[in-house]
Amino acid sequence: MTILGEFALWIALPLTVWGMVMGFVGGRTQRGDLVLSAERSIYASSFALTLASAGVVAAFLGDRFEYWYVANYSNANLELFYKITGLWAGQRGSLLFWALILSYFSCIAVFSNRRRNREFMPYVAGVLQTVMFFFVVVLLFADVNPFERLAFTPADGRGLNPQLQNYWMTIHPPTLYLGFTAFTIPFAFAVSALLSGRLDARWIQLTRRWILLSWFFLSIGIVFGMRWAYEELGWGGYWFWDPVENASLLPWLTATAFLHSIQIQENRGMLKIWNMSLVALTFLLTIFATFLTRSGLIESVHSFAQELRIAYIFLGFMAFILGASVVLILYRRESLRSDNQIESFVSRESAFLFNNLILLGAAFAVFWGTIFPLVAEGVTGQAVSVGPPFFNRVNIPIGLFLLFLTGVGPVIAWRRASKRNLQKNFQWPVLVGWGVAAVLWILGARHPLALTTWGIGAFVLTVIGVEFYKGTRARARIEGEGSFRAFFHLVSRNRRRWGGYIVHVAMVMIFMGFAGSAYNVDERRNVQPGETIQVASPFGHTYDLTYEGLSVVANRGQRNLDFQMLALVTVARDGRVLDRLTTEKRRYVTSDPGQLMTEVGIRSSFYEDLYLILAAVDDPEGALANDPDAQGIDLQVLVKPLVGWIWFGTLILAIGSLVAMWPSADRRRMAQEARATAPADPVAVGAD
Amino acid sequence: MKNGRFVVGLVGVALVVSYLMWTGVSETMVYYLTPTELLAKVESDPSFRDMGVKVSGRVVPGTYQRVEGELLHSFMVRDLTDESSTFPVEYRNALPDTFSDEVEVVLEGRLRPDGVFEANTLLTKCGSRYEASPEELAG
Repeated sequence: MTILGEFALWIALPLTVWGMVMGFVGGRTQRGDLVLSAERSIYASSFALTLASAGVVAAFLGDRFEYWYVANYSNANLELFYKITGLWAGQRGSLLFWALILSYFSCIAVFSNRRRNREFMPYVAGVLQTVMFFFVVVLLFADVNPFERLAFTPADGRGLNPQLQNYWMTIHPPTLYLGFTAFTIPFAFAVSALLSGRLDARWIQLTRRWILLSWFFLSIGIVFGMRWAYEELGWGGYWFWDPVENASLLPWLTATAFLHSIQIQENRGMLKIWNMSLVALTFLLTIFATFLTRSGLIESVHSFAQELRIAYIFLGFMAFILGASVVLILYRRESLRSDNQIESFVSRESAFLFNNLILLGAAFAVFWGTIFPLVAEGVTGQAVSVGPPFFNRVNIPIGLFLLFLTGVGPVIAWRRASKRNLQKNFQWPVLVGWGVAAVLWILGARHPLALTTWGIGAFVLTVIGVEFYKGTRARARIEGEGSFRAFFHLVSRNRRRWGGYIVHVAMVMIFMGFAGSAYNVDERRNVQPGETIQVASPFGHTYDLTYEGLSVVANRGQRNLDFQMLALVTVARDGRVLDRLTTEKRRYVTSDPGQLMTEVGIRSSFYEDLYLILAAVDDPEGALANDPDAQGIDLQVLVKPLVGWIWFGTLILAIGSLVAMWPSADRRRMAQEARATAPADPVAVGAD
Repeated sequence: MKNGRFVVGLVGVALVVSYLMWTGVSETMVYYLTPTELLAKVESDPSFRDMGVKVSGRVVPGTYQRVEGELLHSFMVRDLTDESSTFPVEYRNALPDTFSDEVEVVLEGRLRPDGVFEANTLLTKCGSRYEASPEELAG
């Protein structure tokens, strides 16, 4: 099976080349047979990549440690689940997995357009196969072949890094990859529009749901990573401004900008060049993100040298994409003229434009902060570092202004907002925003940034709440429906709009959750059994945490686990016992003997998390031997207000994006009717 | 001009973002040095002590000590290449799980007048790739 997989990977190479050539030549010469061949090559290369991936999984399941990749990411005792997810545990498998997902998305795009939008398809197929070709080349020629064999067969593998043996870590990378690769489809359609000259908003309408799908996966993928850091890294944080995290944030920022700016093109026929540039930029950043995450370039210029070949292939491809996009956009610049002009400073266009500018500003700042150390070292020879202080300083004001626009954008009028429009829509929300901030101030919350966030958040929530209320009431009156039914119909009649509002509500919740970190409590002490640590929550109550002692558990079912040393802590709030938490040190059989991994204990509630860290055990050997005098530990206690809102907000964000993505009933009916009446007509169907 | 206000607004945003970035870099940037470089800098310019720096070095085996009850960790760090450049480090926080003898650490903090480096953050450099060369696998 593994040999077959390796063979299939080689077969994918000519297949992608074939599809690339046939797509572009077929588009140029308008020959349908060539285009059909290009599309079929996509199915074929997708099949080949499926075989290749199955080959890697088979090597994991069969403990084939003669393969370098398997030897490094598995061992005989690894749980079955982690053997299967080994496909994307490391760089080599990830790149293959990436190509695999891209090929599936390509199949869906080609298949769903097999009868319609034929004018786009030749170049779409060509672009998709070009991207696929690039990844196959990387896999085969950049020293990252997952099928590389060692000269000998090790007795056992090195096992999976214990920190990666976590549920969130297994779903975080594939979710991000889904987001990254899904964006290839809009990019392919955009390039196709540029090449074929069909430069109206059609390519946007056709790919709007792909854009949303990509954005949806990017968003939840990023949050899954935050959740992993929160649970696994054991210091209570969820975001480091680490280059790898920044790399995933960059395309998210530009994709968010793009989601908004396409609405201006659809509604007002403006910003055509801007949208083309944004789609190309976002695609470029998805490639850049893979490059950063999977090459280790940014850590230092020195690691660059070790990964020379893959770095050059990636940089070459990115330069090619950048150059080709710029040339194509310049070539079509006459046809990309705006149909309209912005009429007023106070209008929805203007709000969206500011939103775009600020998102791009944030993206640029993050990009600059990420590569600045490299640039500085390259220019001056002196290594420097910019860290979280830089990113927070730049991005907090930007984020707050964006949050504010989240409330302005939905209700300000297109073209030119009148004084009446402004007063009607914003009078109450502004008052509520100030009111909430004032009440919180009276209640004792004095942190300026947190107060600003909560005030702006209340403003945005009021704006959106009023919109929902007015819409529902109007519908209930006109249609004579009950309010629940009216609400449901309201949303389902214009899913795009109301889904967007739901996402805005989610962003408010997430931001409010971030602001909660201004009130984090951090207490640490060395405790003996029976001792109690008192911790005051910013919400006014007091936790009494009584340390009960250590309990040693030897190998409990999880096969790679050597032992666990659990610290038992009884949690009481205002004198009433609520819960019993454990935080532990554990050792994996594959780790160095001295290396203990920490698992934190978390008690989540809607308004705050209690987070316990077993920072150190006074006498690990004694504790392992159950010596009653060796029970002292360093216990760190964090109270993290509102952190749960980030996760809960993400759930709402997911629901909102799904609402916006779901095909509306009208469109489904239209598509069905069109299929029934004119199955062979290539352009009759309007739905995507 | 009709779009005048608009242009002012856009330029304003661009200026604010640039300002934030510029001051952000200049006020938060720290030097990233090797222990040898840090010791040399402090020697030639004692005022350098007050500046926060980032240093990467290797933990000297056998020097790690935990001060019980104080939640204090201390150990020696040496230069990755020049083994004679060493200094003691103190760190008051939970250590990362991957911390051990011989591990490469990246510290942020400052060198006190008594020659002890007081670290505010400590990261270990490894784990992220967690891969071995064929030679290591053979051994």
